[in-house]
Amino acid sequence: MSSCISMRSKLRACLAVTAAAGMLGGSAVLAQAAPSTKGGAPPSVAPNGAAAPTGAAPTEGRPSRGPGPGSGPPRIHTLFNSGDPTLALTPPLGGSRAAPPGSAPPNPDPHDLEGVWQVQGYEYLLGPEPGVPPPLKPKYMKLLEQRIRAKNRGTPEADTETQCLGHGMARVMESPYPIEIVQTPGRITFLHEVAHELRTIYMNRPHPKHPRVTFNGDSVGHWEGDTLVVDTIAIDPRSFIDDEGSAHSGQEHVIERYRKIDGGAELALTITIEDPVTLEHPYSYKRIFHWRPDIRPQEYICEENNRNAPINGVTVAK
Amino acid sequence: MRRVAFCFAGLLAMAGTAWADPPPDAAPGQPDLTGAWFIVHPPHALKTVDGSLPPLTPSALQVYRAHLAEAKRGDRAAFDGTTRCLPPGLPRLMLEKKPFEILQRPKVVYFVSGDNRLPRRAYLGEKLPDDPDPLWLGYSVGRWDGRTLVVDSAGFNDETVLDDAGLPHSDQLHLTERYTLSHDGRHMAAEFTIDDPKDYTQPWTFKAQYVRRPGYEIPPEVCMDNPARRAAAMKATEEAVK
Repeated sequence: MSSCISMRSKLRACLAVTAAAGMLGGSAVLAQAAPSTKGGAPPSVAPNGAAAPTGAAPTEGRPSRGPGPGSGPPRIHTLFNSGDPTLALTPPLGGSRAAPPGSAPPNPDPHDLEGVWQVQGYEYLLGPEPGVPPPLKPKYMKLLEQRIRAKNRGTPEADTETQCLGHGMARVMESPYPIEIVQTPGRITFLHEVAHELRTIYMNRPHPKHPRVTFNGDSVGHWEGDTLVVDTIAIDPRSFIDDEGSAHSGQEHVIERYRKIDGGAELALTITIEDPVTLEHPYSYKRIFHWRPDIRPQEYICEENNRNAPINGVTVAK
Repeated sequence: MRRVAFCFAGLLAMAGTAWADPPPDAAPGQPDLTGAWFIVHPPHALKTVDGSLPPLTPSALQVYRAHLAEAKRGDRAAFDGTTRCLPPGLPRLMLEKKPFEILQRPKVVYFVSGDNRLPRRAYLGEKLPDDPDPLWLGYSVGRWDGRTLVVDSAGFNDETVLDDAGLPHSDQLHLTERYTLSHDGRHMAAEFTIDDPKDYTQPWTFKAQYVRRPGYEIPPEVCMDNPARRAAAMKATEEAVK
């Protein structure tokens, strides 16, 4: 029973966010930033062994705050490297590491992407380079600055992710929680641990003439040699490109190119984003996902907020 | 009833397409459950296979009667978290009008619900953990018994009910599901056994039928985008923070 009580208290915290957003018309700000909790609960992982499949989350694979391994020069921590503290960017997480020794070996088959993957690095701003914003048109750059300033005042805008509506693209692909890929005839399914997000990539049809608008869009895919190319449109314009709040419109078009490297130990992704409404021009960025057979995706009920995890004062998942 | 008729029409139109294409790794002769499934008769109040009231313990019967009364006076929210987008739990998730998709793979069978995109994973060839953490959808393991997929689940929290009417269960719920594909591949018979020593005097069973809808793309529903449920979630929050 004690676990239920604790669940209920978390539910309150979650729905307070939702209520605040709703009462203020969904576009206003929250009353208070998440409290600082050193450590906090990271995206949970579980061993893949049959012995303890739901045991306590091990430390392996937890994203850690700060620059990732081999990240090189110091990170830019304000928008445009302006030094303006009101434009401070949320520092990235280090992200996933390679699977620990003794894990199941990667599958070298380039066309078999099945398994659990976790992104290396977790950027809150998804521009062409770390710390650089997307090439937003002036109106939307100003909006991004407003959103960053609101966050830094401790009153972040209650965005669609906060309200358990959906992350949108490309934001959902940057979540530090694991992604499980399942391949069945005619489709590739992405089961995201974060907020039980789902992407279905149809390999057997083009985009419909009038696709249903959804938070993660209508995705179709095909293979170009060893590269899976995924084309996504019809993305709900209420969502953002990234956590900091770069805007996209209903005309956003996302092209993802996935290719296994290093014998299948890593999945390289190049994302290209086009949006004639909010962007000056298309842009691309790259990511690496680690093969993580040691991770078993866990239940994550955003609507209950059982995984609202403040790390160093920042709520990394709502 | 109209919807069921529509399902069958869809079946006839698409007969011989999707299920003729087994997953690449399916063992020879192994049934392929991959695809979108609709329940034929979604139940409201579960009964045992012989049509009786399930064998509730006296205290659970009191809880059930309270739920029935709450529903009658229009206060489902008192026992039904789905009114504010909490997961329906099991077996209720499998008994909804909304379809679910099965993704059958050699080591895991995935069930992805049309209700708020909720996923389940049944790990094949594994044993249930001794002391699983309480979850909304529990922890599931599976095995093949001939043409039947047997899924064993435990580790549920006690915040959900078994059916729309409000049959209670405890955190001791152990659910066994048996899914048997028809020989023509178009239907699936399911048998659910509820073993919950806290709330029921003995294990009991009920059945359901599903129909496959080849080629159907289940919309990725987002519950919180439903204005009524969203409003209910906010109302519950306001009451909770008072």
